[in-house]
This record gives sequence, structure tokens and C-alpha cells, in this order.
Amino acid sequence: MRRKAVHHLFRLATGVCAAAACGVFFLIVWAIASRGWAALSWRFFTEQIRLVGADGGIFYNLLGTLILLATALAASAPTATALALLHGVYLRHHPRPRRLLTLALTVLNGVPSILFGIFGLIVFVQWLGWGKSWLTGGLLLGFMILPTVTVSLMERIAGLPARYLEAAAGLGLTQSQIVRSVILPQSVGGLVTGSLLGLARAAGETAPIMFTATIFAGATVPNGIKENPVLSLPYHIFVLAQDSFDPAVGAKVWGTALVLLGVVFALSLLALPVRLKAHEEAREG
Amino acid sequence: MPAPVLRTAELTVTAGNRRLLESVTLEIPTGGVQGLIGPSGAGKTTLLKCLNRLAELTPGLRVEGQVFFQGRPLYRSGLNADDLRADVGILFQQPVVFPQTVLANVLFGVRHLGRAPRRDWPAVAEAALREAALWDEVKDRLHHPARRLSVGQQQRLCLARALATQPVVILMDEPTSALDPKSTETIEALIRHLGRRRTVVLVTHQPAQARRVCDRLAFLGVREGAGRVLRDGPTAEVLAATDIPEVRDYGSSRL
Repeated sequence: MRRKAVHHLFRLATGVCAAAACGVFFLIVWAIASRGWAALSWRFFTEQIRLVGADGGIFYNLLGTLILLATALAASAPTATALALLHGVYLRHHPRPRRLLTLALTVLNGVPSILFGIFGLIVFVQWLGWGKSWLTGGLLLGFMILPTVTVSLMERIAGLPARYLEAAAGLGLTQSQIVRSVILPQSVGGLVTGSLLGLARAAGETAPIMFTATIFAGATVPNGIKENPVLSLPYHIFVLAQDSFDPAVGAKVWGTALVLLGVVFALSLLALPVRLKAHEEAREG
Repeated sequence: MPAPVLRTAELTVTAGNRRLLESVTLEIPTGGVQGLIGPSGAGKTTLLKCLNRLAELTPGLRVEGQVFFQGRPLYRSGLNADDLRADVGILFQQPVVFPQTVLANVLFGVRHLGRAPRRDWPAVAEAALREAALWDEVKDRLHHPARRLSVGQQQRLCLARALATQPVVILMDEPTSALDPKSTETIEALIRHLGRRRTVVLVTHQPAQARRVCDRLAFLGVREGAGRVLRDGPTAEVLAATDIPEVRDYGSSRL
């Protein structure tokens, strides 16, 4: 009797937690969508900001965010690939440096995003003299998502059936040929999934880019590195949300938030087929 | 007896404190089918993997003694293990096909080893698939996923992949253990056929299979906790060696 009661209680608690999590999620989506929907129009996506956010659109903010994300991807994907190969292949029989690498990634993952901003401000903006630059922002976001991308790839490499590696070695392939022809093609899904989920997180980050890469108005398409900031969606929301009491601005803020939410959803959805395929392969063995 | 293509000399393999193989000295003549038989844990697979240095990919295994391939020492000799493995191919218990097409699987080794120019690849693939008795079954499905083949066909595909690189020796680790009787029969016929032109080293658990397929046989048994070669010679002679208790017990329990 008591066993059954515990069982039902456990199921109830699980259900309540799941419902609470889904409830919060739908509440956020509903709150943003219901207020932001009205702001969305062709002009909103194609025009630049006017009247300090009360009019115009977010074209350059969206473009700036996409530039930052593309840079973050370009910086993190090769680095993550190298680190994951180091962990899964080249340090395979060296447990101590492997543990150190895992620890470093865990610590990096726990670094508050504002510290990435301060680091970027000191190193890139001041020391290297880049000023506010899209490249600094992209690199910082790349560092920030590096653990997510690397761990995702590391897990895929670790999950590769050993028989594939043995079969390739048995044919006389060198280690680098095995990496190129077996390990990377079969674990690229981990890189894609990790990158898209990492970018979905990076898209909404304000702290790493606010002192280093983005400004509120006056930037268009960067034409160099030094003193070449971009506009961005999260910083746009950040500034308008705290500085403006104009109702016209309020509608634009919600509209911008809805677009940002759309970018994050799109990145997560893009990752979905790759994740489903990975699960399918895992089931098939 | 023809000159040995492979020869082990006092080969001892340890994993931590455990001895897997102890002082194995065995000559494998050029051409024909050499069988390795014995109970589980006698070190047959370990011995097989020492013959192309695949054992060293298993962490913690230590190999002492020596193996000679065509007279050249394999261990502590500066010989490149990858080059050796291209000459001494291996077929595993379970077929290992890569998640690619049939054709890509056959050419997997050839493509990377650079042993044939690209224009010859179709001919190489056809020859290997014919030699593995698979051509007629897959010639219209070369661009289909290899995983859609039956397990028996997959095992022959793996054999074709190994044959495509023109190895001197083919090691086979119980290649029929995952197959039904019909597929087993096909593979056994293939092994006999291959043995006429190459050297095949076959690990088997079944005396009947050894009798059907192997020209020579080495019986491995466990003594004092380590695998050893207890008798080596023509198959019929080894299986009839009732003076060795392990062979007698193994034969009576298996037949």
C-alpha cells in the first residue's frame, strides 16, 4: 500500500514539475508574442532604427546579431573540433591531461558571461586597441559557447563504436586517416547540435558584447575590424527596456524580443533533425 | 613445408598482472588455411591480433617476444604498423560495415592506401566482390547503403573490403559465429578457395569447421593461467591428439 502511495506521489511530483516548466515556457512565449506581434511588419525587418527606437525597424540589429553568431561559429567550431579530437583520440591513453581538459571546459562553462565581457574589454578593446568591434563580440561569444560545442562533439566521439576504429585500423589506415574518414564524418552531428544549441544561447547574451562589440545606434555593416561595432538584438532590448517610457518604443521592444525568440527557436529547431538522427543511429547501433 | 609467412617466437602477452599468452612459438606456412582452435580464454583472438599488431590498440596489453612477417620482425623494429596491417588484413567476428554505400565500403581501404589509381577503382571493387562471392548479389545495389545487406552479405562485404587492398595474409576471427548455417557454408567455401591463393589464419571454436576448412591447426589451451599452443600440425593429427587431455576434453565436449 505504502509502495503504491510513494509511486503515485512520485508521479504526481514529476507531473507538477513538468507542468510548471512548460507553463513558464508558454507564459514567456505568450507574453512576448501577444505584445510583440503587432510590431512585426515588412518595414520592421527591412528598415533601420529611427527616433531612438520609436520608429523604423531592426534590420541592422538583426544583421549585427547574425554577424556575431557567424563569427562565434567560425571561431568555436574548429577549436571545438581540435579539443574534442585531443580528448577523444590523441590523449585517449593519457587520463591525466584528459581530466585536465574536461575540468578546464567545465570551469569555462561556469564563467559568468559578464566576465567574458570584462575580459574582452581589457584584452581586445584596450590592450589590442580594437575598440568596440564585431570581431571581439564574435570571438567572446565563441569562447563562451566553446564548452557546449566541445562537449557535444566529445560525447559523439566517445560514443563511436570501437569496432569502426578497429576495422579502419585493420585495413592499414593511419591515425589521421581514421580521424578524417571515420571519426569526423560520424561525429559531425555532435558538432552541428552543439554549435546550434550554443549559438541559440549566445544569440541572447548581452553582457559579453555590451562593452566590446555593440552600440545602440549608428552602426551599419562593418567594413573593418578596429572601431567597427554592430547593432544587436539583445542590446537593443536592454537599452530600450530600461531607458524608454514611450509606449511606441515599448511595442518595438516586444517586437524585437519576439524576433530574438524566433532566432533562438530557429537555431534549436535546426538542431533537432541532427539530434533525432543521432538517437536513431544509437538505437540501431 | 613452405617457408613460413608468419612466425611467432616466444610470444608472451600480458594485461596488467594477467598473462594472456605464454611463450607461443608457431610457424604459419605461406598459402593454405592455418586454424587456431581452443577453449574461450586461451588467447586465440589475442594471438591473431598480435599477428598484425592490432593488439597494441588495446590499452594495457604488453607484448614480449617477437613475430616475424616474411622474415621481418614486427615488434621493436621500427616497422610501420599501418603498412603491416595493409598486408595482413583482418575479418572480425561481427561484420563491421561503415554507414556508407556498398561500393564505398569495398573501396574504403583502397581509397586511403593509394594502392590503385582512381580510374582502376571500379575494376578493383568488382574483382574484390567477385573474389568474396558477392558480386552477383550486389552488382545492381552498389550505391545502396551497405547496412541493408543481410549479416552474411555484410561479412562477405567486409572480406571484399579486405581483399581489395591485396593483403598477403587474411586473419579471420570466428567469421561465421554470427551467421546462419547457409551463410556459414558460403563463407567456409570462400575460405577454402582463398587458401589456394593466399594465407588465411582462422580462429574457430568448432573442430568440425576446422576439419572442413583448415590445412593446419594449432590447439591453444590454458595451463598455469595462461594461453599456450599445446599442439600444432596437420588438422587431422591435432584433432586426434588424445594424448593431450585438453584436446581430448575439447573434442569430446564439442562433437
